[in-house]
Amino acid sequence: MYKVVIGLEVHCELKTNSKNFSGSKNDYSSIPNSNIAPVDLGFPGILPVVNKEAVKKALKMAIALNCKTPDEIIFDRKNYFYPDLPKGYQITQMHKPVGVDGYVMINVDGVDKKVLIHDTHLEEDTASLDHFGTYSLIDYNRSGIPLLETVTEPCLNSAKEAIAFLEALRSMFLYCGTSEARSDKGQMRCDVNISLMDENATELGTKVEMKNINSFNNVEKAIMYEIERQTEVLNSGGKVIQETRRYSDEDNCTYPMRSKVDAVDYKYFIEPNIAPVKVTDEFINEIKSEIPMLQYERINMYMDKYSLSRYDSTILVKEKEIADYFEKCIKEGSDPKLAANWIISIILGHLNKLEIGINDIYVTPKMLTELIKMVSENKISSKQGKEVLYKSLSDEKDPTDIVNELGISQIADDGEIRKIVLEVIEEQPQAVQDVKNGRDRILDFLVGQVMKKTHGKANPSLASNLMKEEIEKR
Amino acid sequence: MIEKEKLELYAEKLLFKMNDEEYETLQKEFDVILKQMDLIGKIDGISDVEPMTFPFVTYTAKLREDEVKNTLETEDLLVNAKHHDRSQIRVPKVVE
Repeated sequence: MYKVVIGLEVHCELKTNSKNFSGSKNDYSSIPNSNIAPVDLGFPGILPVVNKEAVKKALKMAIALNCKTPDEIIFDRKNYFYPDLPKGYQITQMHKPVGVDGYVMINVDGVDKKVLIHDTHLEEDTASLDHFGTYSLIDYNRSGIPLLETVTEPCLNSAKEAIAFLEALRSMFLYCGTSEARSDKGQMRCDVNISLMDENATELGTKVEMKNINSFNNVEKAIMYEIERQTEVLNSGGKVIQETRRYSDEDNCTYPMRSKVDAVDYKYFIEPNIAPVKVTDEFINEIKSEIPMLQYERINMYMDKYSLSRYDSTILVKEKEIADYFEKCIKEGSDPKLAANWIISIILGHLNKLEIGINDIYVTPKMLTELIKMVSENKISSKQGKEVLYKSLSDEKDPTDIVNELGISQIADDGEIRKIVLEVIEEQPQAVQDVKNGRDRILDFLVGQVMKKTHGKANPSLASNLMKEEIEKR
Repeated sequence: MIEKEKLELYAEKLLFKMNDEEYETLQKEFDVILKQMDLIGKIDGISDVEPMTFPFVTYTAKLREDEVKNTLETEDLLVNAKHHDRSQIRVPKVVE
């Protein structure tokens, strides 16, 4: 048995209006080469001007990742030659990145683990290339989009831990509103460094790097494949070669791309066109105040304070909006366990079915709380409550109104109905006279008026009896 | 004197070629540069001085507000390209 050691480098595009160093639009899904500026194309004489929002969001992530933030930020040039990089260098950060020495807490199968972050740094994305039979096409829309690269220490020991970290990181981007973090759109991409070592060894084994894996699913499969491949190499007495490999999802294998010998020398040096950027305490405090409570903390709070299971807590925090909704229900007075059950068993199903967000539904936390109260106070049965909630979601009506309309909850209070009976008698003297004159059918009309006034809530036979009683008194 | 092999390695990394005569000139130039570096290295307390990355201490005065502007028309990009395919620039295939 070997010990698996994994380090991840995760690239994620930040959500801004404009690019990192130019004023062109941050949106590469539009028509190719429609969001471009001279800076993105590497024209002679260009000067990059740093986007404040990109710096802010990068620092926000650094803080969320528990990193140390610097008192000044410096950008560096990473030089290499490729058609997707028109300037011949990428503006990135090496000497003073936005964050170093951080950590992220994850939980795998009920066990907590601290994943150490080496650093997180702000850089720019490259142009995108489409490859055809004999040529490639370049689209510069992606060129210069702010990109945050987060590098872990080699401290992950299984594919499961790697995926748990990626999920945690994605949720941080979503909770902080710093990126849409969609891997299906290429916004989040991952490089995996993996090596095997003898269980008692003190030195890391030779690592293999796998670049640009585009989905969490493929990260898992690539890791599983590499563990198997490297185990076989070591078991047969061979040595793992230090190299970069490419993962192919067509046959679920990895293939050699380049060995250490032809590794590129990036000739890093400080970007002379951007003077250092001061990071003031004021700026950091402003950013800190905008970071909400994150997934891991919320899960622990739901378990400790509200006695929810880890399973339920994890479902509720998957999206910040859902977690916020749940917490609002509690503020409105809902029992946490009941609120969690109703949200998980009914509302989430509704959201999935219609592919909408929780903020798109008609039922507010207040409405849900009212409904839960009706059930816990036995005004309606739990089965009825569920029917009401389904109807409320589909018909966009207040659950309380639905309960009244359906007449599920009945007024069986003598005094309350008598009051309304008297009102009706007052308003309908002619009809009352008709009943007294022996026209019994008119009694139904009068009872009908009572039902109308109570929105069908009055117990009909009680209303009828009281009406008879009151008319006879006259 | 700096070894020729070292210069050849740098040339390779920087993607250019030189002839023997050029290497000789460069070696002589490096000789001067390295001697000057040595001299600077002998200044008292030099190791206590922070390396400078800019000619004087300066900071980015203002970051750019996140607004979309100063963009180019696609046509202006394409006039620079020898070959294009509708709105994309066409280059020889770069992967196998």
